[in-house]
Amino acid sequence: MKHSDQHADRRLWIRSLIWGLLLVVCVVGIAHAEGLFRWLEPDARQVIYQRAQFYELLGRHLLVVGIAALVTIFFGVGAGIAVTRKKGRDFLPLVAQLASLGQTFPPVAVLALAVPVLGFGTLPIIIALMLYGLLPIVRNTLAGLQDVNEEIKVASRAMGMTPLQTLYQVELPLAAPVILAGIRTSVTINIATAALGATVGASNLGDPIIAGIINGNMAYVTQGALIIALLALTIDSLFDGLQGRLRQRLSSPQRLS
Amino acid sequence: MSLLDALPTPKLRRGGYPNAVLVSMSIVMLAVLWGLDAVSVAPNRIVQGTGVGVLGAIGLPGAFLASLLILAIGGLACQPGRTNYAAALGAVVLLLALMPFGLMVASYFLIDPALPQARLGIGASYWLILFILLLCLIELRLRLALTRLLPGLLLAGVGLLWWLCASLWLDDLALVQEFKARDRQFMRAVGQHIVLVGVAVGVSIVLGGLLAMLMRRFKRLQKSAFAVLNFLQTIPSLALFGLLLAPLAWLAANVPVLAQVGVSGIGNTPALIALVAYSLLPMVRNTYIALEQVSPDTLEAATAMGMRRGQQFWQVRLPLALPVLLEGVRITTVQAIGLTAVAALIGAGGLGTFIFQGLGQAAMDMVLLGALPILVLALLVDAALGALAEALRPGGIQ
Repeated sequence: MKHSDQHADRRLWIRSLIWGLLLVVCVVGIAHAEGLFRWLEPDARQVIYQRAQFYELLGRHLLVVGIAALVTIFFGVGAGIAVTRKKGRDFLPLVAQLASLGQTFPPVAVLALAVPVLGFGTLPIIIALMLYGLLPIVRNTLAGLQDVNEEIKVASRAMGMTPLQTLYQVELPLAAPVILAGIRTSVTINIATAALGATVGASNLGDPIIAGIINGNMAYVTQGALIIALLALTIDSLFDGLQGRLRQRLSSPQRLS
Repeated sequence: MSLLDALPTPKLRRGGYPNAVLVSMSIVMLAVLWGLDAVSVAPNRIVQGTGVGVLGAIGLPGAFLASLLILAIGGLACQPGRTNYAAALGAVVLLLALMPFGLMVASYFLIDPALPQARLGIGASYWLILFILLLCLIELRLRLALTRLLPGLLLAGVGLLWWLCASLWLDDLALVQEFKARDRQFMRAVGQHIVLVGVAVGVSIVLGGLLAMLMRRFKRLQKSAFAVLNFLQTIPSLALFGLLLAPLAWLAANVPVLAQVGVSGIGNTPALIALVAYSLLPMVRNTYIALEQVSPDTLEAATAMGMRRGQQFWQVRLPLALPVLLEGVRITTVQAIGLTAVAALIGAGGLGTFIFQGLGQAAMDMVLLGALPILVLALLVDAALGALAEALRPGGIQ
């Protein structure tokens, strides 16, 4: 059993390695693949997106998503923990309701509503991503913490653990898979929404797609779309590997003893 | 809503502890009311408006009335109890109902009738207070353990009042002016949006149902089908739309029959393909789970009663599966409403057109004209399908 688990684990990491390699190949190789894209768009003056290097666009995309993810994880998990403690319990119903209601808000609408308040550029994107990405994390943190068996918590208290120790050594490790799933949802949505940020003046991987649609240049569109898709698949498979490892750690008896 | 079901219903506590949630929200509202701009005034459509605080917008009496009502909400929450919560609910609804009249007063004070292009924008504190009031409404609904019906009716009444004010007296409001300048276009866009979402969801219900049935028949299909659908769901919407453009344009150019049917790189075809591709995963997943989770005991009882396989499916399995199935339809539809907005980028029309045109022209009120209806549409569909699923849930099933 354990052996096959490790095997599956390794396969997950290999998959993310393959997607990552494809991503790197595309980012480096597209500039040299003029012939290929010329075939796609024979009449255009340029067939390779020139306004910025692809690795710069990728870097900016990752930076925006990364900052938003770090902040949302900090505040989202923090809020989830705060409202499940004794002092914050008053806020629990409202926060839970808000987190599930927030799933209804379309990301595009959130992005569009952020612009009138915050203006054009990269900052509104980051803030819109933070606001939107917060909800799945809060929701899953709540679900994960509330799923922790009451008897286990009582047992840890009986063992003489302080509430803080219970939180760090019992509740959070047990809730970790659910919380991680929330973070995965949040990051996946954010990669897609950040691409839409190109329409509000942020320069990232959405840029070639928007420029291609406006100029009717399918080669640009394909280049941007290919790289974003590969980025999303790489990150997603990384989360897959992380979740696999977490599951393994929680289910392996050696660790718990 | 499933998360909420698991929550303990908050108990009404007699006296003693103040309700921290309402008290803090009332303090925040007061700070926002006096600290941020309530409205903005612009001489024409493109110029950035200048902000005006609450005193300039509704004068001292208006600001006093608003502060009093907000204080009342916080004050009533200090002594929680059924009557006090009901009174706080009254104050919240009154504030919501008075908000458009505040805008009317502001436009009377601030808009010079000699400037026909002048317009009133809605400021940060106005939006924030509206948002916090809605949060108060949710909190009060939970504390008073009301069903969704009463707050829904109250909100519908307030919405009707707002609509009336906007169409009769709020001509100076920038949002209203944007709407009046393109009301036909707006109605057409709403229609297009609903048709696109409807067709995509309809197709994915049929395809998703078929796929789920096939998965139940051929278990081996299950893993690979879910893998493919998961894969599709991971790809960002803009990228999927983009990746469909090139091959479809090529097909339309090289296969004349397809071009005649309406296939093209830009427009409805790629939009619908992408929408269906995204909708399939939640649809198939929920249909499959819904059909599988029906308890074997119930099915055995149906067999024992002499039902044939077909009867069993239509009269036992499907009705029992319906609430979870509808949950899938709800998730799919809400998701499709948002994605259709993105489809405007590839020329599919719908409300997203206003968002992206407005962003292009830096006309923020046009962006609002696109974004607000999308939000309202998503919330309405969510509430309606959620209520339907709840109504269809048989009494004994959890």
